[in-house]
Amino acid sequence: RRRKAAAAGKRRPAAALLSPASSEDEAPEEVSFGVAREAAETERKLVGEAARRHRELLKEKRRRRQELFAEQKRRKLLPETVLQELDAMPPKRAEEQAAAVNTGELCGGGAAKQSEGKAQRLMKKDVQRKGARSKGNYVAVRLKDQSLAGLHQQLARDFLSTHLYGPDTNRVQANEFFSLENKKNPVRKAAVQFVDKSWGQEKKLKAARFKQRWLA
Amino acid sequence: MGEFEVHRVRFFGLVPAGVRCLAWQPRSARLALARTDGTVEVYNFAANYFQEKVIPGHDARSVEALCWAGGDRLFGAGLGGAITEYDLARLSTSCSVDGGGGPIWSMAANGSGTRLVIGCEDGSIKLFQVVPGGIQFERNLDRRKGRILCLSWHPSDTHIAAGSVDILRVLDVCSGQTVQRIMVNYHVQKVQRECVVWSVIFLASSTIVTSDSFGRVQFWDWQRGTLVESHTVSTSSALSLAVSEKEDSIVVGTSTGATYQLQLLPVRVGSLEKRWVRTKPFQHHTHDVRAVVHSGTALISGGLDAQLVIRSLMEKVQKKGYEAALRKFTFPHRRLVSCARKARLLLFQFTQHLELWRLGSTDKTGKDGEVLPLRRMPEHLVQLKSKGPEHIYCSCVSPCGSWIAYSTTSRFHLYRLRYKGDNVSIAKVPKVPKLLLPAYQLQFAADSSSLFIASAQGSVHVLQLLEPEGCKHLHTLRPPSETPEAVYLLAVSADGHWVAAVGGDWAIHIYSLKSFKHHCTVPTYSCAVTALAIHPVTNNLVIAYADQQLFEFSIPEQQYTAWSRMVQNCGLHRLWLERDTHITHITFNPKNPSHILLHDVYMFCVLDKSLPLPDNSALLLNQSTLKQLPETARQRQLHAFKICKKFQPLLFADLLDENCLVMVERPIMDIKTELPLPVQQKKFGT
Repeated sequence: RRRKAAAAGKRRPAAALLSPASSEDEAPEEVSFGVAREAAETERKLVGEAARRHRELLKEKRRRRQELFAEQKRRKLLPETVLQELDAMPPKRAEEQAAAVNTGELCGGGAAKQSEGKAQRLMKKDVQRKGARSKGNYVAVRLKDQSLAGLHQQLARDFLSTHLYGPDTNRVQANEFFSLENKKNPVRKAAVQFVDKSWGQEKKLKAARFKQRWLA
Repeated sequence: MGEFEVHRVRFFGLVPAGVRCLAWQPRSARLALARTDGTVEVYNFAANYFQEKVIPGHDARSVEALCWAGGDRLFGAGLGGAITEYDLARLSTSCSVDGGGGPIWSMAANGSGTRLVIGCEDGSIKLFQVVPGGIQFERNLDRRKGRILCLSWHPSDTHIAAGSVDILRVLDVCSGQTVQRIMVNYHVQKVQRECVVWSVIFLASSTIVTSDSFGRVQFWDWQRGTLVESHTVSTSSALSLAVSEKEDSIVVGTSTGATYQLQLLPVRVGSLEKRWVRTKPFQHHTHDVRAVVHSGTALISGGLDAQLVIRSLMEKVQKKGYEAALRKFTFPHRRLVSCARKARLLLFQFTQHLELWRLGSTDKTGKDGEVLPLRRMPEHLVQLKSKGPEHIYCSCVSPCGSWIAYSTTSRFHLYRLRYKGDNVSIAKVPKVPKLLLPAYQLQFAADSSSLFIASAQGSVHVLQLLEPEGCKHLHTLRPPSETPEAVYLLAVSADGHWVAAVGGDWAIHIYSLKSFKHHCTVPTYSCAVTALAIHPVTNNLVIAYADQQLFEFSIPEQQYTAWSRMVQNCGLHRLWLERDTHITHITFNPKNPSHILLHDVYMFCVLDKSLPLPDNSALLLNQSTLKQLPETARQRQLHAFKICKKFQPLLFADLLDENCLVMVERPIMDIKTELPLPVQQKKFGT
């Protein structure tokens, strides 16, 4: 940037000298060396200051951004007080506490909900590490076990699935495959999976509940 | 005869896993089969293709190759990277050695069964020696880049052919070096895909046969490195190859489910020059055929549609009778459903969970063949998930419906169920005694006071169930002679005095529960037992064998009954003996002591001992004709076998009370829609 500013500086005095040219036939003005030197210096100073201000502005922006990230990160974890309390309490109570915290306290938009989930996971991981048995829909694994062997196996399985079920293999849905016979029979029958049972699940549930309420 | 209200159950969502590998043992006529979920099964062809051993699967176990070596020892290797030996007497894995090359894609045993070679993911080929007690690493052969997908020994054990992606290699066993390297993809123009060599066979005549992902079967002269013949059998991949012992017939399995036979035939009648010709196409499967075997007289194929198909070659079969028929096996030859009669509950066994259902009820009656409306729908009461990666081996529910027991290879679980109105609560019974595991079969006593566990070495454990929630090990019943085989079938008498157990050596032992001593042994018969039951009133043991014979043994008198002798003298009807599937469950009607109810996959039969037996000239399936005859004519034509083929394929049938039957069916199309995707078949006009 310093080089650019210097180049700009060099070009500017030349431009400044050319601009008042009213006609192309006149010879350029006679400018003494001292004047020219001063002009160049002031130009350079101005440009340097502009560059410095520009740099300061960028630094400020960056600083503000970092602070914003730090603030967001801090917001994601539970408040310090709650964490300390939970560390101190026995694991079972900790679970209930965590549940209470997650349902009640944190407010906000989607970010807060995500943070709740993350906090709950953090909480439960803590509890698990303490060695107490707690019920939950998760599996705690050691990262040491999920090592290179698992990666090799996954690569092997991927190879198999791309070559047997990949894009070139001309596979088709079971419904299409088995319904072909029904369509080609002399007596045409419906497709094998004619009714897709996953249509309108909520509506069916609502209807069943409505019927229950009215019949009860 | 009787009118029954039939609960027709079709909500058992069983999806058997696809067949991945097959290994044929010609000496004992046994076929080992491995499925995609890690289950290993052994079929005994001499015992009418009975599935005599099942080793349950494991989440972490994937079997990519299976072979017999060292006599009657079975070895498997998979993507887990280890070579496992299966103990067929104890039905579990006996030892496991890590291959050291990452996931293992293929394994082959040499002609004499003394060495194993494995092909690994990292491109290395390793030799192992089969020693008593396990296997030992011998050495590494030449390693190149590219995973080794298939291997084959030369019949003289001097060379090994290895197929990889785009490349076929031949290695010399003594030096370990690659002596020939053939590019398999060279002959396909303008194609960007790589050519995967799925299967390879080394013939004695220095020809190598390969099958690849372009659907070609190619014959190579390995010493010159040239292609001799190329046959395109299919547009999709040709996945598996097998050659006959005389090396004149090859069977190929493809991705579309079709299998083809190629035969070495003389060019002209009587000429010496022979050529390979594609002779017979078969379409027995709907999904990929990943394993084929060529036995002396039959082509055996296993597909990802979970079917095992045995097709006899007509020119090889001596007697053209029922032995030459096409056999298809989809369902296991064991019971996966148990029924609590009084509580009207059904327990379904899946590989990793159990489901308890209560049957629906109706209060209407109707005529023969009518469908009655349900007043209460069947309810799914409990779903019990098994913890851990092991698959469930056996399960049972007590007749009163308050106890559920199941076992995996290393753990045994007992649960207590309580019903309060419409709610069910389940509690695990703590402090179950540490018995010799696994349990191969579980059976509750008729009054739900004790549980019988079939265990290794022919022994049966008796567990007493205590209220409210406990159990105590009462006794272990052992057979008089030592046997390494495990018990796989149990039968308990209704009065709680007798228990019968069958082990892998096919000997039926009967124990008295009053004195906990061995009572007697049923005379040995040269076939496997497929179902066993003790009559509630007469204490006769009814036995169904794999060759469709039926015997009745009187336990108090320790000899066969008069009716059984009559059946053996007259012989059973020819159509009865020519059934494809085995009888898996026998039960009785307490109100009618002369009735025996049995079923196999395609029929349900009520055997009336008081009626005469049909001879070969009489019609066996005469129910429909009898319905149309008047009463007097009917009496003349009645015979003992009353067979109903309306409910198929049947997984379980039982009598709930004197007028009520339950039939659990699993339509094959319901299974096929839940399998992995099949390959599209383009048909003209669609």
